[in-house]
Amino acid sequence: MTTVPRLAVRHLTKRFGALAANDDISLTVEAGELHCLLGENGAGKSTFSACLYGLLQPDHGEIEIDGRKVELTSPAKAIACGIGMVHQHFVLVPSFTVLENIVVGTGSGLALDMGTARRKILDLSRGFGLELTPDRLVSDLSVGEKQWVEIVKALYLGARLLILDEPTAVLTPLESERLFAVISELKAAGIAVILISHKMNEVMRSDRVSVLRKGKLIGTVRTKDVTRDDLTMMMVGRPIAQVHARAKTSHGKAALQVVGLRLKRGADISLGIAAGEILGLAGVAGNDQDELLETIAGLARPERGRILLDGEDLTSLSVQDIARRGVGYVPSDRFRDGLVSDFTIAENLILGQHWDEHWRSGPFLDDAATAKNAEAAISSYSIMASGPEMLCGRLSGGNAQKVILAREFAKARHLLLCNQPTRGVDIGVIEFVHREILRKREEGCAILLVSEELEDIFALSDRIAVMFRGEIMGIFPREVADIAVIGPLMAGHRPEAAA
Amino acid sequence: MTLTERLGLRLEPRAEAKTLDRVLALASALLAALILCGLLFTAVGVNPLSALGALLQGAFGTWRAATETLVKATPLIFTGLATAVAFRARLWNIGAEGQVFAGAMFAYWCQSALAGTSPFLQLPVVMGGALVGGGLYAGLAAILKTRFRVDEVISTVMLNYIIVYALSLLLLKGPWSEAGGFFEQTAKVDPASQLPILFDKTRLHLGFLVALVAAALVWLLVRRTPMGFEIRAAGSNLRALEVQGTNKARVILMVMLISGALAGLAGMSEVYGVHYRVKAGALATYGYTGIIVAILGQLNPWGVVIAAILFGALVNGATFMQIKTGVPSALIYAIEAIILLFYLAGWAASSFRLRRIRA
Repeated sequence: MTTVPRLAVRHLTKRFGALAANDDISLTVEAGELHCLLGENGAGKSTFSACLYGLLQPDHGEIEIDGRKVELTSPAKAIACGIGMVHQHFVLVPSFTVLENIVVGTGSGLALDMGTARRKILDLSRGFGLELTPDRLVSDLSVGEKQWVEIVKALYLGARLLILDEPTAVLTPLESERLFAVISELKAAGIAVILISHKMNEVMRSDRVSVLRKGKLIGTVRTKDVTRDDLTMMMVGRPIAQVHARAKTSHGKAALQVVGLRLKRGADISLGIAAGEILGLAGVAGNDQDELLETIAGLARPERGRILLDGEDLTSLSVQDIARRGVGYVPSDRFRDGLVSDFTIAENLILGQHWDEHWRSGPFLDDAATAKNAEAAISSYSIMASGPEMLCGRLSGGNAQKVILAREFAKARHLLLCNQPTRGVDIGVIEFVHREILRKREEGCAILLVSEELEDIFALSDRIAVMFRGEIMGIFPREVADIAVIGPLMAGHRPEAAA
Repeated sequence: MTLTERLGLRLEPRAEAKTLDRVLALASALLAALILCGLLFTAVGVNPLSALGALLQGAFGTWRAATETLVKATPLIFTGLATAVAFRARLWNIGAEGQVFAGAMFAYWCQSALAGTSPFLQLPVVMGGALVGGGLYAGLAAILKTRFRVDEVISTVMLNYIIVYALSLLLLKGPWSEAGGFFEQTAKVDPASQLPILFDKTRLHLGFLVALVAAALVWLLVRRTPMGFEIRAAGSNLRALEVQGTNKARVILMVMLISGALAGLAGMSEVYGVHYRVKAGALATYGYTGIIVAILGQLNPWGVVIAAILFGALVNGATFMQIKTGVPSALIYAIEAIILLFYLAGWAASSFRLRRIRA
């Protein structure tokens, strides 16, 4: 190309000790281009964007903006060079208004010219099709709107290159669509956008894709020249076998029965799962799926209703007693609810069972037994770790998830509650998790699977239920459930009973 | 632009601090602390080297001085352990001070009913009373936290005040005041209830051995037992433990009971090992100093023992230093604080590194 690229990166290398998180990466991003950065967790996407935003300093290499060499020693410098970044976890002050959040830290001297700022923000948001009300409190905004605030903030600061870090991870399908509409407005205005993502359907909407693997740039390709499979191959380095369950038609008797269960809001929930059956629970995050699973696991008490496992009422039992009856629970937030980061793999695998005779010799914990248990889990779940003594806080997201799966799958003899088992993990791990869940089904375990990834739900479920605001909107056999049926229910629209 | 950037340097967090880096950072922090202390000595007109010499001589110069250092260290080992156990579980028990009082008072209350009986009855009662008194007083803060969501920092500090004035009330005109006595203190306790002296012509008493045993038990408890597993888990992620079916309130109560019981032993060992009377002067400040000791000892039981002996040496040597060089012994509290601040700064600094940025 003859024009000067908006961003040119040459031979960028960043090491952490022996690990080269970014190894000799060179790429360019044109003005008005949507450039996707694709790679598994730990491939170096975050390090690369942190270098671009001045959060980290590369050990070698050069960065040029519009043909001018820049030294990005701090985010302030990066902003001054016209680089903006929207983090995956928003950095907004909830008790401030939209206007205040955008102008905070921008004033020179003591006075802030709020009037001018307000006009500029309104112009920016109208220009790009974002509907922002400057005086609303950020705490009152939806997740999608908060993201808009972040984008407008970056634009307000004069961004000509916008980095979006996994922007759709927190959005509903509809909100994601609107985001892409905004991105095309940005492109039209000549702003370069770098999209960090691992969702293939989003990646395919970009102009070009740069694929990273283990810190190295595998290649930059024009999106229209490649297929999804090509990109997956580049990203993982091997072909991925898609696991697909064939829905079973005949089942044993119901293992789990939920009868007239009422959560904090919504209507009474009734559902049953047979032994050896997977019930997929579809729904946008925050529609009380977590509450339902926590209630079944005994962490929360229902307003009313009963939960039966093989005919026995679990409703008033403790978490520990429920677990002893063969119930495993994989929580959605693995580092908050699932693991103790400062504990070793061996310790995390016995979390909650640490009083059991099995793991004790006399009054002390039996380190030999727990280490043996951990070694077995590490090999059968192929956890990438230095050994049983490795701290879980040092594991990658996918490996941390495998530790939880190892613990909970061992507990789940009759019922497995699985909440977002593939959130934020690599394609390779997703494939692994799918296979393990299906193996658990073959063992005759009843499985309740909650996922925001509809791909999980469709790939694994025998039946699919849709949840909206604490209520089950409908339960369908896998064969008749497709996105046309489920989509409207996820948004709370019931089909008209009769036409 | 920050000052470091102006100098062409940049402060960066380290991914992982190596042991050597830590040791270097802490050693230089200690050196810096010593230099500052030296300046302090110079400011009061004393040669820092001779002051330091006198301090060391006073702390370890003779057999008697060395045992006296251990006497001073004993209550600090207990309160240091008490704080370490709670802090390991991320329970900010600032109430060791009050729990020392509670332990001493409950031990005294139990023992005074048995005065005149055999030491084999009185000594276990004294120790048991201290454990129960300190434990229950800390348990009060635990219940306030789990039942009423009162932050333990607030409740333990407030409980410190209450117990100090309660003791004052009992001693001033109350049932515990010494008959015909002028000072705010009880009468001397029954010799049969006093902790035996370990070596002739020293004041080193059984309490020191009990403190070492306590350190060993705490180490075993935290490292090896299911209960310690819960303490360590609570220190990192109590929520994950709760999701796995452990009762959070039970863990908090348990940690506070253990912590308070250990602090209670400090009160017992001062009253029955050193002063033989219950009085505020025998009990005050050990709880607060114990927090410093616990942090210097890295919340590790053996680290606590070492830090407590260091502080014992400072306090013990200070008296001799004052006699010999005229440095006010109160200066020792400034030195304690300087050591802690530099230690913390050194620890924090070891998590960063300076990098040259290209000009």
